[in-house]
Amino acid sequence: MDVEYAAGDDAEDHRFRFTAMASPCEVRLAGLPRALATAHAEIAIAEVRRVEHKYSRYRPDSIVSRINAAAGSGEAVEVDAETSQLLDFAAQLHALSEGRFDITSGVLRRAWDFRSARIPTPYALAEAVAQIGWPRVQRTPETVVLPDAGMEIDFGGFGKEYAADRAAALLERDGATSGIVNLGGDLRVLGPRPDGSAWSIGIQHPRAPERTIASIRLARGALATSGDYERFFEVNGKRYCHILNPATGWPVQGWQSISVVAPLCVAAGAMSTIALLHEDTAPAFLASQQVAWLGVDRDGDVIRHGLPA
Amino acid sequence: MAATDHDDIQPADARPRLGSITLAALALPGLLNVAHAESAPTDGVISVKLQSYDDRQPGLDRIRVIAPSLYVLAPVASNWALEASLVHDDISGASPRWHSAISGASHMSDHRTAGTARVTRYFDRVSVGVGGAFSEERDYRSRAASLDVRWSTPDNNTTLYLGAGLTRDDINPVNGVVENEHKRSNEFMIGVTQAWTKNDLVQLNVGHVAASGYFNDPYKLVDKRPRERDQTTVLARWNHHIEPLGVTIRSSYRFYRDTFGIRAHTATVEGVHPLGERFTLTPSLRYYTQGKADFYYDPVYDPVIGEPYPPGRPRLSSSDHRLSAFGAITVGAKIEWRIDSRWSADFKYERYEQRSNWRLGGNGSPGLARLSADILQIGFSRRF
Repeated sequence: MDVEYAAGDDAEDHRFRFTAMASPCEVRLAGLPRALATAHAEIAIAEVRRVEHKYSRYRPDSIVSRINAAAGSGEAVEVDAETSQLLDFAAQLHALSEGRFDITSGVLRRAWDFRSARIPTPYALAEAVAQIGWPRVQRTPETVVLPDAGMEIDFGGFGKEYAADRAAALLERDGATSGIVNLGGDLRVLGPRPDGSAWSIGIQHPRAPERTIASIRLARGALATSGDYERFFEVNGKRYCHILNPATGWPVQGWQSISVVAPLCVAAGAMSTIALLHEDTAPAFLASQQVAWLGVDRDGDVIRHGLPA
Repeated sequence: MAATDHDDIQPADARPRLGSITLAALALPGLLNVAHAESAPTDGVISVKLQSYDDRQPGLDRIRVIAPSLYVLAPVASNWALEASLVHDDISGASPRWHSAISGASHMSDHRTAGTARVTRYFDRVSVGVGGAFSEERDYRSRAASLDVRWSTPDNNTTLYLGAGLTRDDINPVNGVVENEHKRSNEFMIGVTQAWTKNDLVQLNVGHVAASGYFNDPYKLVDKRPRERDQTTVLARWNHHIEPLGVTIRSSYRFYRDTFGIRAHTATVEGVHPLGERFTLTPSLRYYTQGKADFYYDPVYDPVIGEPYPPGRPRLSSSDHRLSAFGAITVGAKIEWRIDSRWSADFKYERYEQRSNWRLGGNGSPGLARLSADILQIGFSRRF
């Protein structure tokens, strides 16, 4: 539970840094005395850890691991209301993305080993793709069944963003009106700086990890970015990234990154991932969702839509 | 994809409803919370401090006080907080000296136990606190009760404060000069704190105390003071954050007047400097000046009678140096160390020096030796 404190821009601006979901995270609260900010931040960070704990596929006791462990056994795993609502959300994302967003696509990790930087064989890829298929998941409001052995689900596509929104909701409940919950670059703004001005959020440069390529001014709402730079390898000058099309098993092409501004982080995160999966039709998809966004295209040019520079 | 303007691209497929993903996300549990409540502390704090006060006049070490104190803040349920503190002073030393000509003073020794307790209830935008305090010495017992209400505007930029308190003291000096004497005081305070800009916070407090009863010092040979004392205090504070330097300057001015005739002014300035991520250094400077009480007489040491005696036979008189005209400067520094997310430590040193001729806007009282004091404080606190 290591949390590092750092002072922000003034005596009433407090930054609490921690690691969760394998990402650097920060709860920043302004306009509050430090003791109060610390008390609020601890509640928010505990909520992030609760979500991580409950939905991590790396923890054998998580609900996700229990559902996956029962795959192919015919056992109906009981799920609580929160998990059931997240599965509903996953179902809607699958439908609204026309199958592009599929929480059963994690099996592609078996074919794509980003550490060894090898392009999978067509046979291995076909075998993995055959195990994908959200529509085959059998659900009732209280139970879930993965019908085939080897099938798995994961909430990696929106778990971090959901945790950011939950933490932000607790901070708002406790009266925090100025600050940011930032979980590995997916963030929710609680409200403007104490003087009413917007926060300036830097967008990571997709090809230079230590630099930003643009900035977005945000007083409220959420911002999430998906890109081809989080996990990837290159073979013969071609980049193979971790965002994989569940229909083909191949990595997406076309965008270095897409950042989406939406009222909720969980929506922004899902849309940025779906936009990458749309490849060339991303602008049309994002227009249909009526959100502001910033994309870095394959040439590294920045495209803004609804966001003043 | 070329770097062109994409605004003119029409949706390729109109099936997804407008804004549908945001709507789907809104159905998730616990993401929206519109209730804003005045926040109660959710963590407890326990802190222990040890303070040493050591004062002296030239050639004489006068009083040394070592006071350990304990403070506990415990959240009770979600909207309540309980605070309690306990301090135990041990005092040993010489009684105050009239002036520097006398050496060898009688010895005094006493100890004091004092405690406070306070319960606060947090409502929406309003908090109400009720407190009690006691202080016990061999010859002096004090009991106090207080009530305060705080109210914040919806934007939290303005906070109003109203407070009232009662104190009842019983005085039974060991020398039996008086028995079962009492002192009562009623106190009122009103204050407003305003966030002016994002870097400026200003505060104005006005307080009034109406007290009656026994104010004399029973251990002084001639000490006759009025049985009524009204005190008025006006305090203005300004905290300013200098963004490029990361430094916060806290300044305040306090005006005090009472019906004993004392007028006093205090100006304080301190600077909060973060040193790296774990340390904060706060140097401070305070200047204090006061005019004498109407019935204060200058202590003129008489070689025959000995201790100073008031000229004539005045109805009221005192030679308590605290009622004289003087100026004083306090210079200090505090270092706070955040050891980890739960533990913190602080260390404070202050040097106090009081001299008659440091009074501003008038002459200081003659015949008083300068007084200086060292105040050291070391503290640890832990959140739980």
